[in-house]
Amino acid sequence: MAQGLILLLLGGAVLRISAFSTTYLNYVKPGFRPFLIVAGAVVFVLGVVTLVQEWREPHVPEAERVRRAEQAGQRPDGHDHGHGHDHSRGPRVAWLMCLPVFAIFLIAPPALGSFAAAREDSSPPPPPPEVVEGYAPLVGDKPIAMPIGEFVGRAWGDPKRSLTGKQVRLTGFVVRSKKKDTWYVARMQLNCCAADAIALKVAVRGAPAPPENTWVEVTGTWIPPKSRKLPNGTVPPEMTAVSVNKVPQPTEPYE
Amino acid sequence: MSDRAMLDWPPDADDSPVPPSSWGRKAPTAPVLPWVFVALVGVLIVGRYLVAPFITSPALQTWSTIFVAICVQALPFLVFGVLLSAAITAFVPASFWTKALPRRPYAAVPVAGAAGAVLPGCECASVPVASGLMARGVTPAAALAFLLASPAINPVVLVSTAVAFPNRPEMVLARFVASLGVAVLAGWLWLRFGRTEWLRVPRRTGERGWRAFHEAAQHDLLHAGGFLVVGGLAAATLNVVVPRSWLTAVADVPWLSVLVLALLAVVLSICSEADAFVAASLTAFSPTAKLTFLVVGPMVDLKLIALQAGTFGRSFAARFVPLTLVLAVLASALTGWMLL
Repeated sequence: MAQGLILLLLGGAVLRISAFSTTYLNYVKPGFRPFLIVAGAVVFVLGVVTLVQEWREPHVPEAERVRRAEQAGQRPDGHDHGHGHDHSRGPRVAWLMCLPVFAIFLIAPPALGSFAAAREDSSPPPPPPEVVEGYAPLVGDKPIAMPIGEFVGRAWGDPKRSLTGKQVRLTGFVVRSKKKDTWYVARMQLNCCAADAIALKVAVRGAPAPPENTWVEVTGTWIPPKSRKLPNGTVPPEMTAVSVNKVPQPTEPYE
Repeated sequence: MSDRAMLDWPPDADDSPVPPSSWGRKAPTAPVLPWVFVALVGVLIVGRYLVAPFITSPALQTWSTIFVAICVQALPFLVFGVLLSAAITAFVPASFWTKALPRRPYAAVPVAGAAGAVLPGCECASVPVASGLMARGVTPAAALAFLLASPAINPVVLVSTAVAFPNRPEMVLARFVASLGVAVLAGWLWLRFGRTEWLRVPRRTGERGWRAFHEAAQHDLLHAGGFLVVGGLAAATLNVVVPRSWLTAVADVPWLSVLVLALLAVVLSICSEADAFVAASLTAFSPTAKLTFLVVGPMVDLKLIALQAGTFGRSFAARFVPLTLVLAVLASALTGWMLL
């Protein structure tokens, strides 16, 4: 019975974060949703079936089952569990599956924020994704909204320096810097799940730092690096801010 | 739970007629447990609004995000593997495998390893499937070759590797060659030196059909799911505690960088379908070191060690995991030296 309930809890929790809310976006990529819904539903149904079976024939001891099997004319040794425990009780390690359920409901883990991004402060940030065909030129006078990953890519990896003089708008959360007059607007980049998240950071100058971990929209222009000798990817690119606005956290917190 | 009820006799049970009158009734706890369950769900829902807002420690939050992410991300693959394994147990007759695989075990190992290429999943799916194969009478060494090869050489993983390393098709080739090589070698070594008492071969009921399917799926899911959580706990803790800067500091020493990335692959426990992107982001390291990361990760990592120990027994994991790790590091160093 207990094992049916564990499955029910786990399946319910997974469905709760994937089918009935967008919480799953804190943990995995958006494309993962259908798989989560299917998996949650399978676990849930398995729990229901287990409960129904348990309800129809409440716990038959092993000896009794063998006796019944013999009566039914089957070989009793057909029910030999090579590893010496009674399957109707279920493995004890299964109780651990309640831990992620408790974590989901009681801690309600938020999207990775400044704590995770700041952990990588001492190591060089990741390189920009290599864009083989090059970046399209930026047109228009209005500020151009772009992902932080694209800004970093254009700043480091664009031979045409398309960012020069253009106003752009970046959305991310605030990370403090060790330098006094700058702070970072950052976004975590996922490849599969939050365990492999990488921080993408842009240093912001010319505006006071909002409180740590607030989501902001920064409008400003790129500051081209003074020396071209610095190898790509050893420092975050910089920008001068014109305006900084607080915004609510986007539904999709990662890039 | 319900069998615990047998022990909960009232203290005066000695004086009561034998057998006690409670025998033959439905288990007396049966009506209680559903209420416990309802209460638990209530606590969880209320706790979501009363407790969660007060847990604000960023380290704990980051840890729990990574822990939940690892579990949530692995669950669909685990469920897929468990269902496939249960289907193998319940619907595929044992005679199928004796026909499909070569009769001689030494020939069956490479065939089973290469067959891993058709299972589109990650390492969480392959453990229950390998256990289902063994339960159906496939030579354990062949099932182990399948276990090691399938998460590394299936089409989904190879395509994601090609995407993560654009313009470097030799990386995909090297990954395929090294992973299949390690899987076959490990299978052969197990066949030659392995002893049956080390490996706990899960045996299944002789039953077939939907009932057996349900029983196998339920048992495997509870079992493997529990050990997945153990692995997730360990991986999330190390992920938060160990700073990545320690690792990049050693990138310049060739042999050390290979070992460090092998260790990182074990610790991070990233799904094999995503590890290529992480490897590509470790730019400070040599291609051979990245290849090591890609070969070791799908074969040996914390959550996989927990899953293997839970499924096949601790004495198996204690021998098989080091064997695979050494083979994987050597094979990727050799392949990297020749191909990259």
